[in-house]
Amino acid sequence: MIRRLVRTVRLYLAQAWLSYHGRFSITNPFGYITSKLGFPFFLMIFFIFMGKFVGFSDPLYIVIGNLLLIPANNGMAGISLAIGEERGWGTLSYVLGSPAPRAPVFIGRAIFYILDGFVTALLGFGIAAIIFRMNLGQVDFYLLTLCTFLLAITASGIGFLFGSISLITRDGWTILNTFIQALYILVGVNFPVDALPGALQKVAYCLPLTRGVMAARLVLDGAGWSAIASLIGGEALVGSLYIAAGYAFFLWIEKRSMQSGTLDAV
Amino acid sequence: MKCIRWGLVKQQMSVQLLVRTLNFFSLSLFILQPAVFSAVGMLLSHAAGNDVPDLVYSVIGGGIMGMWSGIVFTSTYDITGDRRNGMLELITGSPTSLASVEAIRTFTNVLCGFFAVLIAFSAAMFIFDYSLNGANLWGAGISLLILLFAMWCSGVFLANFLAWSRISGTFVEYLEMPVAIFCGFMFPIRVLPDWMQTISGIFPIRWALEAMNESLLGMRDVRYLAEHWLLAIGLCLLLLVATNWLQNKVQDKIRVNGELSSI
Repeated sequence: MIRRLVRTVRLYLAQAWLSYHGRFSITNPFGYITSKLGFPFFLMIFFIFMGKFVGFSDPLYIVIGNLLLIPANNGMAGISLAIGEERGWGTLSYVLGSPAPRAPVFIGRAIFYILDGFVTALLGFGIAAIIFRMNLGQVDFYLLTLCTFLLAITASGIGFLFGSISLITRDGWTILNTFIQALYILVGVNFPVDALPGALQKVAYCLPLTRGVMAARLVLDGAGWSAIASLIGGEALVGSLYIAAGYAFFLWIEKRSMQSGTLDAV
Repeated sequence: MKCIRWGLVKQQMSVQLLVRTLNFFSLSLFILQPAVFSAVGMLLSHAAGNDVPDLVYSVIGGGIMGMWSGIVFTSTYDITGDRRNGMLELITGSPTSLASVEAIRTFTNVLCGFFAVLIAFSAAMFIFDYSLNGANLWGAGISLLILLFAMWCSGVFLANFLAWSRISGTFVEYLEMPVAIFCGFMFPIRVLPDWMQTISGIFPIRWALEAMNESLLGMRDVRYLAEHWLLAIGLCLLLLVATNWLQNKVQDKIRVNGELSSI
């Protein structure tokens, strides 16, 4: 039993390390840093100036929201890239044709993306605290860490859903990117969810991240566990549902795509 | 000779449209991304307590954003794809210069990007009741033409910058948002701090776009507009000179190394 557990954990970690190392060791420090912080930073600045122009008086709201989306993006992109890139390089059929269990192969690869996103977000908070003079004195860092980590994990369910789409179309990554853009509207990144029209508010609460972002904002305002417990519980529940649905969808699509032979079709 | 040139343009545009531009990725850049940015602009405006969003910047600006994103990614991915597939050397070695191929490709990309602006204009007029009453239509029209020229010059420059060095790809991909900020795609330049306004002066797109936006808002000061147009055109010409220099560098490199994949 213990031997099997150790073997499984080793499989997950080996996949995670190889995948992460393979992806980032080929790039230079400039490429790595810009890919981690470059685009989110400039996008955040862009939204801040948009807000300034329309009279949105709280730039920190936009800063915090965009920082919280970094670990979520990594969680979503990690799994989706793991599947999509195998397909892109034509190796997916070999991976799926092997007897290797799917969960360690694909979830394992997401582990370092999740950890990386989590660390990047914490680093981002540090940088933002200096640039935007955020007051972090009253923040419970354990709770902030919990919220940030939870966001990365719950987002991986969406990664599975969109990664599964990569099995049947070469546009999986583009579709995920389009969805990620919609998150800038839906999950309370740049403005409160209350500012959305009624129907979109309902959509927002059906998505992972919405409650997690709200909880993290409360923690940054100095709130304690009792104030965020229900939001954390809701985020964990919605996230678990997405992860379960994503994995089931992945297995179903895999079966269908193997029957139809569309794995490497472009 | 003219027939051959026209044939080349027609064929290149056709291939570019069918193979590279009319796909889900590009359509997402040209249509969905502007819609998202416009929605963020309008909802931010709503959250700030404004009843009516600024349509010139929030909606039409979203279209400009889509055009720019489309040009950055299609023009650069063209070169990246050519380099990865080993086609860059073949194009450079063919009787048709890389400059001509890139110029036509980018022209096609600009036309497709213009589609995003047209959609944004239509959305502003037919969905949000934007009226052109009071707008300086001549000024806006001339500014739009110069803006398209500026976008084309920028696209050609970026494509050649990528052909010149593989590493530049890392840099170019991250130009999308900084240029959008410095050129004020979805907010007026005056919102930026002074030092950023100074830097933004080096981008021809900024001057053409500012003239177009001000014309749409009713600006009729010919001197103001002419200054902006001349600055935009002058900077475009500088970009073309730089592009030509990069072209020569690429030709030199391939003569010495015999390949462009590793540079």
